[in-house]
Amino acid sequence: MTPDTLRNKSVEELAVLLGTDVREPQLKKLHDLGLPSKKSEAYRYFDIETLLCREYALLDYIPKAIQESDHVEIVDGTVVSAPKGMRIFYEACKHVEMEHFDPLYYLGHLLSPHVITIEIDGDAHVEIVHRFTRSNALINYRISLENQSNRHAIVYERFEDDAVRDTLVLYGYDMRIAPNSTLRVLKTQTLHPENYAMVASHNVHVEREANALLKSFDFGGGLGLQMLRIVLEDHAHVEAGHLLYLNSESRRGTVSQIIHKGEHATSSQEAKNILDGHSRGIFDALIRVDHSAKYSKAHQNSKAVLLDESAYMAAKPQLEIYIDELEASHGSTTGQLDKKQLFYLQSRGISVTEARKMLVIAFANTLIEKVKDSRQQERIKEEFEKAFYTVHKKDAS
Amino acid sequence: MKTVLEIENVHAKIGEKEILKGLNLKLEPGKVHAIMGPNGAGKSTLSKTIVGHYDVTLTGGDIRYKGKSINDMEPEERALEGIFLSFQHPVEIPGVNNAYFLRTALNAKRRHEGKEELNAAEFLRLMKSHLEMLGMKSDMISRSLNEGFSGGEKKRNEILQMLILEPEVIILDEIDSGLDIDALRAVSEGINKMKDGKRSFLVITHYSRILDYIEPDYIHVLKDGRIIKTAGPELVEQLEDKGYESIEEDSAS
Ligand SMILES: Nc1ncnc2c1ncn2[C@@H]1O[C@H](COP(=O)(O)OP(=O)(O)OP(=O)(O)O)[C@@H](O)[C@H]1O
Ligand SMILES: [Mg+2]
Repeated sequence: MTPDTLRNKSVEELAVLLGTDVREPQLKKLHDLGLPSKKSEAYRYFDIETLLCREYALLDYIPKAIQESDHVEIVDGTVVSAPKGMRIFYEACKHVEMEHFDPLYYLGHLLSPHVITIEIDGDAHVEIVHRFTRSNALINYRISLENQSNRHAIVYERFEDDAVRDTLVLYGYDMRIAPNSTLRVLKTQTLHPENYAMVASHNVHVEREANALLKSFDFGGGLGLQMLRIVLEDHAHVEAGHLLYLNSESRRGTVSQIIHKGEHATSSQEAKNILDGHSRGIFDALIRVDHSAKYSKAHQNSKAVLLDESAYMAAKPQLEIYIDELEASHGSTTGQLDKKQLFYLQSRGISVTEARKMLVIAFANTLIEKVKDSRQQERIKEEFEKAFYTVHKKDAS
Repeated sequence: MKTVLEIENVHAKIGEKEILKGLNLKLEPGKVHAIMGPNGAGKSTLSKTIVGHYDVTLTGGDIRYKGKSINDMEPEERALEGIFLSFQHPVEIPGVNNAYFLRTALNAKRRHEGKEELNAAEFLRLMKSHLEMLGMKSDMISRSLNEGFSGGEKKRNEILQMLILEPEVIILDEIDSGLDIDALRAVSEGINKMKDGKRSFLVITHYSRILDYIEPDYIHVLKDGRIIKTAGPELVEQLEDKGYESIEEDSAS
């Protein structure tokens, strides 16, 4: 299948092409938003057309018997293993958001009418490993994630692949974060050029007095975009952090909308971007504070360090505010590593590569340090180092 | 006379401005050389030139360390070979842990010398022993490199690095400025501990008080980009009493 064949089609034609009931409201959303192109707001810094014009094999998603394991493993969109006793099953999605800005959110749902529902029990720590084994494929799946009120759970998410080529992964979460609960989701992903590309389209609903902590650690090359829509009810709180270390011709980042709907909600979003080679980092992020969202606090910031003259940061933090009673700030900066600091380290016998690495980690540390689990923190640092050393020659030891 | 570092007719620019204008200086092994001179004479520029700072462009002359020219050496190589500069204004590096930084530097040097690297525990023991001697608090281990350090703490931290890295040529650029008497004593003690009859020191200062503690062998006067006089420690008194204007240029320099 070539996704681009869905471009400029009527609802009726889309219904036929996607094998869906013509009355399905998601079909109209996909139609109205239109298949993304260079001209789409949300995709303006990302080369989506090239990806949509390719021919992909479509996969069958036949539920398998789920093996017992210490983590959840999803291979090419099918759950193969999970911890004992975990509630994980396929069902029709209970809440598809009808206000999402991303057309691929709807395409994803239309292609996967059954979602993987994961019910997180209590204060669980859940590890989800996504694995891709098929080249030239369109891998499409959606996950519905639910937690319990008054509980504090963590999800660690990572990605592995068997060196697949030219695969496109469309996936994403519909999360409902229960009242008075905390859910942390930490994602680490290293991509390689020509490997698989990914558009992850999430919808997060943060119920009253709930906390959502969403952290992404994205390294390496390749094409990847995270589309994030977050709605905050009364006294809800979201803390979003995005670390990028990109190299080669990579185009990656976050396009987000955080919507303050309830009163006394707070949002803080921090992006740290380290860009090597010809890469382009994307932080295109809107915080909208609605009429109903009195006493909101909204803070947003992007900082970029360019390690190469050819790298580019597309940072567009935006605030859209419809009330007076709030506290808000936003900003973005782009710069280089500090020459004086670099020299100081070198003057103590530390190589340029090591010195740069130390300064880059120092820059990223406000995000990395917030990962409380030291094993996970180590893993993030190791993945970063691996990606960093593919560009900067490591000292012989 | 043996020489460990020889600076021969060095011309150096910062930007378009020539700062060092045919400077000659020889450092002898095991000796303490003090450099004194008016503000803006080029003292810090000399120290930066020796360690290969990016501000400075060498436009003429030669710097030889142990008989070999180091003009084209990278700053980190010069450090690994044993040249150390204590900066007049050490830079703050938030997010880089002080102990981690120092261990990385020490292990880079040990690797360079073909020695075993120290693990975190071994290094901590070493660092703690020096901290005590320098009267530094143990939170220096966990704090970020120079971040929020007082002037005195920064200078003590420079001395700590010197003690741990054990360099052979040690350049101290105004290590004494802004120090109270306790800090001055601690810093001097650190310096004296490093004297072993082989290491050389180049002590840049405006004041004689540190020289009371570390007893220089030679005093050099740097003025307008050149060393205009070299004498014994007795010169300090004359400089104190009569200032730089009273110095008559050596014919040889
Ligand atoms: N980064 C720089 N850019 C431009 N000019 C500089 C720079 N650093 C030093 N200079 C100039 O070079 C000259 C010598 O400066 P230098 O710092 O070497 O003097 P100094 O002898 O160390 O003085 P002080 O006793 O005040 O430390 C001065 O005129 C100074 O203004
Ligand atoms: Mg100076």
